Amino acid sequence: MTEEKQYASFMERIRAGEKIEATDWMPIEYRKLLIKLIHMHAVSEIMGAYPEKEWVPRAPSLRRKLAIMAKVQDEMGHGQLLLRVVEDLSAPLGRTREELVSDIYHGKVKFHNVFHMEARTWADAGVIGWLVDGAAIINQASLLETSYGPYARVLKRICAEESFHMQHGENIILALAMGTDAQRQSLQTALDYWWESLLFFFGPQEVTPAAKQMMHYQIRLKTNEELRQKFLDKYVPRIQSLGLTIPDLSLRYDDSQKKWRYQAPDWHKFSQIVTQNKGPKSEERMLLRKKAHEDQQWVREAMRNHNISISSAL
Amino acid sequence: MQNNQNDVYEVFVQKSHAEQHQHVGSLIAPSPDMAVQMARENFLRRDHAVNLWVVPQSQVTSSTYGGRFFAREMDRGYREVKGYTENGRLWRMFREKVMTLEEIVAFVEEKERGETEGGER
Amino acid sequence: MNNINDLRYREVLIECLYQMADDKLLLGHRDSEWLGCCPDIEGDVAFSSIAQDEVGHATFYYQLLHQLGEDDPDRLAFGRDASKWRNCMLVERENDDWTYSITRHLFFDQFDQIRLQAMCTSSYEPLQHGVKKMIREEYYHLLHMKTWFKQLGRAGGVATQKLQQAIEKLWPDVNGMFSFAGIEEDLLRFELIQLTPTEMRVKWEAEMKALFQQANMSWPGEFPQLKHDGRKGEHSAALKTLLLTMGEVYQSEPSAKW
Repeated sequence: MTEEKQYASFMERIRAGEKIEATDWMPIEYRKLLIKLIHMHAVSEIMGAYPEKEWVPRAPSLRRKLAIMAKVQDEMGHGQLLLRVVEDLSAPLGRTREELVSDIYHGKVKFHNVFHMEARTWADAGVIGWLVDGAAIINQASLLETSYGPYARVLKRICAEESFHMQHGENIILALAMGTDAQRQSLQTALDYWWESLLFFFGPQEVTPAAKQMMHYQIRLKTNEELRQKFLDKYVPRIQSLGLTIPDLSLRYDDSQKKWRYQAPDWHKFSQIVTQNKGPKSEERMLLRKKAHEDQQWVREAMRNHNISISSAL
Repeated sequence: MQNNQNDVYEVFVQKSHAEQHQHVGSLIAPSPDMAVQMARENFLRRDHAVNLWVVPQSQVTSSTYGGRFFAREMDRGYREVKGYTENGRLWRMFREKVMTLEEIVAFVEEKERGETEGGER
Repeated sequence: MNNINDLRYREVLIECLYQMADDKLLLGHRDSEWLGCCPDIEGDVAFSSIAQDEVGHATFYYQLLHQLGEDDPDRLAFGRDASKWRNCMLVERENDDWTYSITRHLFFDQFDQIRLQAMCTSSYEPLQHGVKKMIREEYYHLLHMKTWFKQLGRAGGVATQKLQQAIEKLWPDVNGMFSFAGIEEDLLRFELIQLTPTEMRVKWEAEMKALFQQANMSWPGEFPQLKHDGRKGEHSAALKTLLLTMGEVYQSEPSAKW
């Protein structure tokens, strides 16, 4: 079959809603878009473990300690599942786990803006668990229908585990909202700090060429703005019901347009954070990943060496 | 295995003795031992299981996806329940109802359960 | 025969539970510091489960203590002065490299397995009940640590050197695990435990010697005498720092619900 015919029958399958599998023929553009998206997703899970990891040693009760450990562990686990999907996609390009991880601290892969930010208080950890995860869940749920089978299957598992994360985050927030004045104040401060990041999380309002192509291939099915609107739909009423003030006086629901009107985040500032790794915590957390990966290469090698010695002994 | 990369292992979980092993995903590990140990936590943090397999991905032989390999085009109603819908009508002529396997299973299981309870007493 | 209303019985039981609880919480806490920092992603996930198990076991012991009239579990974990902690020194030490954490865990898990087995017929039924469950969970920990230890030991090169250093660094802390701070005779008399500390150490040595051999590691010899006994509340600066971190949020408002 010529490349053109292969492409035509591939697009036929996409349009028919069929799932594409790792071993199927796919246009290189499709493969690269998938790698870009899922690599960023995987790395965001792994880097997303760090802000909350900082609060694992300080969690204020035994139950919270266990829960936040389990949650951070799940993030790492999601990173693992997603990395496996990228690894299979990248294998024909000769790329492996070692590189896909070192890409993080070589600045070759981006991760979500929220994970470049500081987690300064326990309330920040709570807001991350509630709203950052909330935003991530909306994003991930929108990808469940993606055209790439292995990604869809892994997302199904991830979303199932996110349902625990949702409850975990809400539980922390509810305790703070029902707590002392100082606790409520710290919750408000956390919301003030995170709000802009949360709006930026979904990405620019305009549909970029890459996003357009992802929709063409049905890798993604919803635009950034559609997802941001869904987030606002779900969370604005809940935030307000807790008596918290959203730090955006212009925020309102436009009945005629059936849309939320909001003060746009500082697109430029956050783009810099994501593309240049210039957030308050970018460098520190990338260094953590580098130490974990590069400084412990000897451990991974030792485990392999052992393997060789055993097989040669047989 | 002799290069500078770890192997990929496909992971299969058997959730209960009544079920077969099911594929749940894959992981990277330095040895089969480690693959089994890591699989427990990477895939069974919440679920219960009775057994786990790991298989080097390189050892998996796969069919192609979709299309011809799985083609079953002609009528195979003769080997399926739905090919025998007329039984219902035929039984009615004998003033009887059609029986289903589920019905028999439920009937038998209930009976057996009754017997054990009786035995224990 | 053994009466919970007997003052000494109660006292000894409580002391013993503190030793077990504090060991577990600190080990779990140190483990959790590895989150996101393990040598590989899969191993990170596996290690975190072990950390959670340890904290879970500690929680169980603190609940038993609370039932015996001690403070509520969170206060015991987050609001207690270092001098009140009864853990052995081994578990409070700061993390070092991966070989140190693996070896420490291995040493402790082997000890813990022996201690738990010696309590399977404990005269205090709630403890006996929990111990049986914990032994089942600990099986995986020991298996996992032994696999790491053997493979690191046999690898040669940097890994084996570092493993050797880790063993040497940990060796002075081994004896501390077997200290019961003076309650050992009463523990036996009340049938709370079935083995003397010396018997436990003999078992530990036998198990570890066999493993060292499989891992091609040489046995460092006698255990040095204890300088400080954590079980008597003698602790290092590392514990004080750990407790400050661990209690930071809790102590910012101890009466609040978190």
